[in-house]
Amino acid sequence: MAAPAKQAQLLARQLFKLSVVDGTVSADRVAGVLAYVEKHASAQSLLVLKAYRRLVATELAKSEARVEHAGAISSSALAAIAATMTKTYRRPVTAVARANPALLAGVRVHVGDDVYESSVSGQLAALAASV
Amino acid sequence: MSTVLDQIEQQIAKLSTKAVKKNTGNIRTLADGVAKIDGLSDVMYNEMVAFPGGAIGIALNLEESEVGCVILGDISKLKEGDEVTTTGKLLSVPVGKALLGRAVDALGNPVDGKGPIDAKEFYPVERIAPGIIVRKSVSQPLFTGIMAIDSMIPIGRGQRELIIGDRGTGKTTIAIDTIINQAKINKVGLASGDPKFRPVYSIYVAIGQKNSNIVRTIAALEAAGALEFTILVCASAADNPANQYLAPYSGAAMGEWFMENGQDALIVYDDLSKHAVAYRQISLILKRPSGREAYPGDVFYLHSRLLERSARLDGKGSLTALPIIETLAGDVSAYIPTNVISITDGQIFLETDLFNQGIRPAVSVGLSVSRVGSAAQIKATKQVGGKLKGELAQFRELAAFAQFGSDLDAKTKSQLERGARIVELFKQPAFSPLPIELQVSILFAMQKGFFDPIDAKKVVPAAAAMKDFFTTRKDALLTEIRTKAALDKDIEAKLQAACDEWKSGYTG
Repeated sequence: MAAPAKQAQLLARQLFKLSVVDGTVSADRVAGVLAYVEKHASAQSLLVLKAYRRLVATELAKSEARVEHAGAISSSALAAIAATMTKTYRRPVTAVARANPALLAGVRVHVGDDVYESSVSGQLAALAASV
Repeated sequence: MSTVLDQIEQQIAKLSTKAVKKNTGNIRTLADGVAKIDGLSDVMYNEMVAFPGGAIGIALNLEESEVGCVILGDISKLKEGDEVTTTGKLLSVPVGKALLGRAVDALGNPVDGKGPIDAKEFYPVERIAPGIIVRKSVSQPLFTGIMAIDSMIPIGRGQRELIIGDRGTGKTTIAIDTIINQAKINKVGLASGDPKFRPVYSIYVAIGQKNSNIVRTIAALEAAGALEFTILVCASAADNPANQYLAPYSGAAMGEWFMENGQDALIVYDDLSKHAVAYRQISLILKRPSGREAYPGDVFYLHSRLLERSARLDGKGSLTALPIIETLAGDVSAYIPTNVISITDGQIFLETDLFNQGIRPAVSVGLSVSRVGSAAQIKATKQVGGKLKGELAQFRELAAFAQFGSDLDAKTKSQLERGARIVELFKQPAFSPLPIELQVSILFAMQKGFFDPIDAKKVVPAAAAMKDFFTTRKDALLTEIRTKAALDKDIEAKLQAACDEWKSGYTG
């Protein structure tokens, strides 16, 4: 018999698969899953929900381009980034702006695990690494 | 001031303004040099990943929801949630002659305080072993300088010969002696100006050893003048298991450079028992399924892929491996010893009993074997030592039988006496390897019965006197034996005359 943590992982993965419709996370299905877990509460519920949350968060991050910027960013630039990422990842990607003065200038875009670095702080870090 | 700023601005301008894509993840857990990472969806098996603070890791476990990495370097500053990025590169170490005379860690960074290493090339740590087409059979000898080994268990260039025995039986000493002997041969060969001479460079990989032992080894090599031909790869007991796991592969990469560039190299893995233990630790933390003695299922592959990288290549050089395995209570049938015995081309088995009896090197003739055999021996050694192993084995059998105390016939007595003298003759102090021509001369004297009238207990000083006699007074004859590598009638006559001369002058 598998360890409780492993069982929780397996159940979370099954619930996650049920939550995805046509490659995107469905809010209705997530609500259904949460209701199911609440109804069938067990000692492992916390572990299952934590693992489930991580899987859903990872999946949602793939559909969201988090645009960190140092100065102002126009809505047209955000739209352009969203369009480019939608084309690159072949899935609907929305762009969300987040101010980050530490970048000094430029932008840094996160989509899932991928990071597109086009900021001055990133370039300075690359320069520091190359010296 | 402005010039400095201009330089920096130019450097900044040179950097591409295009967005750079990185694949990232975050540390979820961190324990004993192993990190579990969320993300890194593009990471490849064995790929190098970059941790904050300059630490690097290797992706070993690629799972559906996480990646297991071993971390090399300082892990004290890493914490949960830190960002990790892929590099798209395999782990590589510096290779080449710039490393000779240096002590480096598993990543090729100098640890001897002698400054940076100016290496021009880098080789990947993990590499597929040469295939069967490019290989050539082992036929050139690699002299250890230890008479018992060179005459009975010969080692060839490109061979894998295991040194196995309990703790404190002289395993490391045999390996160090061999390295020292290569340095001595190199010095003589390079001084001779012979264009056909091929030096043997050595790599000593210390895995899980005490730092004091490593320092002692370095001191021994330096004292013998062998350090200039040797690279030391150190992953001491204080290093994390990931470094201990990688060190032999790094050493193999350094040795492969010599092999690929038409040169010969010798690599000593001291020892693979501790290497297996380090790998077991990593595997257990990575939650890989464990098997016999809690080792993971691929522990055989761990050593077979390492030792298969030692070879003699057609038209290129060779890499000879001397792996060391430490047994417990002489048990060669344990898991790791049997694995490595089956991978290697023979083993030198060292016995605690022999060691305690003062027979050093404590080579057990019955259990030691070289599967390459006489193909890796020069003709002169075959001529004088061809029957030695049989004679010694017969002696051991008769000696056991003679303990019953019955009357023995003359033939048995002479066999016992001859055997006792061979055993004495093979005693050799540590770090004093003998040149092959001197070994041949001593064995010739023994075969011709020059040691027979000497009391068995006095054979060691007699042999020492004979070595002195040959090195100081018969240098030309020794050079002739070395260059011809065979005993013709002329050399045999000269040897006979030299032995007679020694006998007439020996008063011991």
